[in-house]
Amino acid sequence: MLAYVARRLAMAVGTVLAAVLISFLLVHATDTSPGAVRLGPGGTPERIAAENEALGWNDPLHVQFFDYLGGFLQGDLGTSLVNGGSIAGDLADRVPVTAFIALFATILSGIVGVALGVTAAVRGGRVGQLITTGAGVALSLPVFWVGIILVYLLAIQAGLLPATGYVAFADDPAGWFRSLTLPVLALTIGGGAIIARTANAGMREALAQEHIRTLRAMGTPEWRVRYVHALRFASVPVVAVLGIQFIALFGGSVIIENLFALPGLGQAGQAAAASSDFPALVGVVVVATVVVVVINLLLDLVVAVLDPKVRTA
Amino acid sequence: MSALPLDAAANTDLDAGRPGRPGRPGRRLPYFLRRPGGVFGATWLAFVVLASLTAPWWVPYGVAEQDLSNRLALPSADHWLGTDPLGRDLLSRIFSAGAEPLLAAGITVLVAFGIGLTMALIAAERGPRVERVSSRLAEVLLALPSTILLLAVIGAIGVRIFIVMAVLGVMISAGVYRVMLGVAKSVRQRLYVDAARVNGLSSLRVNLVHVLPSMGTVVAVQAAQLYGIGLLIVAGLAFLGFGPAEPQPSWGFMIQDASSYVFSNPWLLVPTGVVLALTVVAANELADAIASRGSVARTTVRRRRSPARVGATGSADPRPADPGAVLDVRDLHISVDDGPALVTGVSFALQPGRVLGLVGESGCGKTMTARSLMGLLPDGVSVSGGSIRWQGRELVGVSEKDLSAVRGRDIAMISQEPMVALDPMFSVAYQLTQPIRRFRGVGRGEARQIAAQLLRQVGIVDGERVLKSYPHQLSGGMAQRVCIALALTGEPRLLIADEPTTALDVTVQAEILSLLRALVRDTGLSVVIVSHDLGVVADICDDVAVMYAGTVVEDGTAAAVLDEPAHPYTQALLAANPHVADGEPVPTRLASIDGTVPPPGEWPTGCRFASRCLFAQEQCTQRFPSVPAHGSGSVLCTRVEELSRADVTWMSAPTTGPAGHETAPATAQPAPTVGVSR
Repeated sequence: MLAYVARRLAMAVGTVLAAVLISFLLVHATDTSPGAVRLGPGGTPERIAAENEALGWNDPLHVQFFDYLGGFLQGDLGTSLVNGGSIAGDLADRVPVTAFIALFATILSGIVGVALGVTAAVRGGRVGQLITTGAGVALSLPVFWVGIILVYLLAIQAGLLPATGYVAFADDPAGWFRSLTLPVLALTIGGGAIIARTANAGMREALAQEHIRTLRAMGTPEWRVRYVHALRFASVPVVAVLGIQFIALFGGSVIIENLFALPGLGQAGQAAAASSDFPALVGVVVVATVVVVVINLLLDLVVAVLDPKVRTA
Repeated sequence: MSALPLDAAANTDLDAGRPGRPGRPGRRLPYFLRRPGGVFGATWLAFVVLASLTAPWWVPYGVAEQDLSNRLALPSADHWLGTDPLGRDLLSRIFSAGAEPLLAAGITVLVAFGIGLTMALIAAERGPRVERVSSRLAEVLLALPSTILLLAVIGAIGVRIFIVMAVLGVMISAGVYRVMLGVAKSVRQRLYVDAARVNGLSSLRVNLVHVLPSMGTVVAVQAAQLYGIGLLIVAGLAFLGFGPAEPQPSWGFMIQDASSYVFSNPWLLVPTGVVLALTVVAANELADAIASRGSVARTTVRRRRSPARVGATGSADPRPADPGAVLDVRDLHISVDDGPALVTGVSFALQPGRVLGLVGESGCGKTMTARSLMGLLPDGVSVSGGSIRWQGRELVGVSEKDLSAVRGRDIAMISQEPMVALDPMFSVAYQLTQPIRRFRGVGRGEARQIAAQLLRQVGIVDGERVLKSYPHQLSGGMAQRVCIALALTGEPRLLIADEPTTALDVTVQAEILSLLRALVRDTGLSVVIVSHDLGVVADICDDVAVMYAGTVVEDGTAAAVLDEPAHPYTQALLAANPHVADGEPVPTRLASIDGTVPPPGEWPTGCRFASRCLFAQEQCTQRFPSVPAHGSGSVLCTRVEELSRADVTWMSAPTTGPAGHETAPATAQPAPTVGVSR
């Protein structure tokens, strides 16, 4: 168990380092420069060169990399080339927005997906067919299109929820919840479909196991066979896919934040990409990776609790 | 963009890579085009690709051609799909926009497989050390939020969509690697790959000729799914404004545009969204259809809860009912629903405290018979006639609920493979105490004491440690002891043991058999033991029923049947048995029985063993009844008296015997199978 946790922790640290390194290298592959970005179209070549020198852009790559890493460890992600503000400060406000959307969507996907997938596996027949086909279609739908359709149906036609915009939790908790509902629903349609397929496949596999036959031969009540034993067996792949889903939903929230005008990490990433704000870009990638890695570490612990083979290894 | 790689459906079918059954002649369509989803997927994808690539030659309007008097129009004869806010024709714009995402998604797939598949093949070839490094790398790549990294790529190099999508391919290659590594490793373990390597083929050739082709199905499934994901991501980037610049159309930006008009002109959302969604659905449907190979049988996992098809029917068995029997099986028929019979006319009776052996080659219906005693036949198989009476109560045709009441409490079962018979997710203590509490109505603490006592009873000394263990921490023999303890939790009167020692080491086999013998002696348990091993039968059974092709050909007390086998099949089994009694010379070669058991549905009229029997004659192809033998037993052979008078047996027959096969001529029959041996 300890070795398992240590291994997962090492992986987490490695992943964050890789994120820093990859985004750092990407940014240096540009054919423009931070000086040019900061000065805008009015910058003369001389001033751009001076600006780049001042930003340390001409230092050897490894020096810049370790400088950045040093700053990162102290919570300093540099300043924006566009508005000169602290990137860490800006992102600190944004992380909760994106994290809550992705977390709620993952949890809701898990609940809806497991319910549907298990029903499909246990009932089989027409109901099962309907659920698996429906899930196949749902996971193929573009999330932004689904989002707009939900806005049309639930906000415009039914008038149940605000179409777009964000309300801070501190200002109005109920309004905050309502402002997140549509984005979370939009992400859940595809995410829930994927979990439904995983849960369906896992549950069918579980019900075909030899130990399930042993339980039936012992006269174990059918509900216990299904919902204690088979479901526990199927839960391990489902949790693993939930982790991957969280990563995907966290990335997918870029689009959802754009559509619903939510001040999250994705919106910052989009703006930074559009304006080539390099330090902000690196900051967004690194912070997003940290969040994703932490959530996945927690899910690894859940797997360890669920699966004795992991726990006793 | 929520549909990122490693969708479960992709992982469900690692087996799909096996070379499929040969297609039936006369059907030329590939298997995946015989499913509606596959037809739809392939047709729509072909249509969209063709229509998009040829768009410049057929679209009715230019992409920037504005008809300001006809803005935001609904579909009409002039504009089949309507117009956008600037009066541009939607049909023309949709199909002019198609080429870029369709190609870009293709690039993602190519790059992802170029890297992922190659790395998987290398890792599978080079073994665990290379694999550990590349798998760690893949794990890191998988844990990165790829959409956000793509934004960094765009920020650095601008909107060069083909390069951006190639970078996405690099990131997704980690997912491809993970799935393909599993497949490649299992393919490489197959014998013919080993054979190719031993024959000195270079590793490149082994991979190209043997490994890759059998991965084809999985590759196709994954590629189709990734293609759909690629399309969603190209469109998503365009939706964010990272796509072709206006007036060039893109699917994503057209939907972004439509979102501003959702209050006033919701129709604008429909055409582009539907084309994009249909294209992704098509890719996924195609993937599912390709993946369906080999999983057809699994589409009906539904557990049949209705009672068996046929209730108890009048017995055709001539023998009188046995009043002392705990278990009385009469004229039992088991068949595949709407299919052939698997077991016909099986009858036997079991006295309390006795051990009955069901013996025969594989495929003779022994296991089906044993499982029917508890109503635990596989899906799609049911009892189609006859009766099973347990202590005078009919078990055929009763409800699942009534059967549940018998299972575990009256009749318990131990299975062939102890290592998979216990639930890997729960401790031994949980798996034992749970039924103990249910059966005996005791509390948690007392149940644990009973569990420990049961473990002692099955010969486990360190019971406390075993109770705390999980199944994967037990050895095979230990697991089988735990399974027996589990079977004893309900204090059953009958134990059904299906090949209980087959999966175990020889020394452990003997221990388990002596444990069973002790249980019978100490508790008065009755046992039905299924085995192909006559040694086991001779060791432990009081009675024996020899089964061949779904029916009992000879039964009686074990001593009588083994000492004076009357049926040629029983004689043949004994002749093929490698167990040699003390003091007798070890034969240099064992006799084998030519041919194989005919499969269900191909049984001949008359004697089913006739085609393999040394004594078969014309009369054996006619129907005939069984005759009494061995006291209370019977023999199903029409020539039995004739053979017995002439004193011919399988061992003394001219063409076989202890050295029979040295003289046996080569025939066109399939390779002889050693019927009963280990």
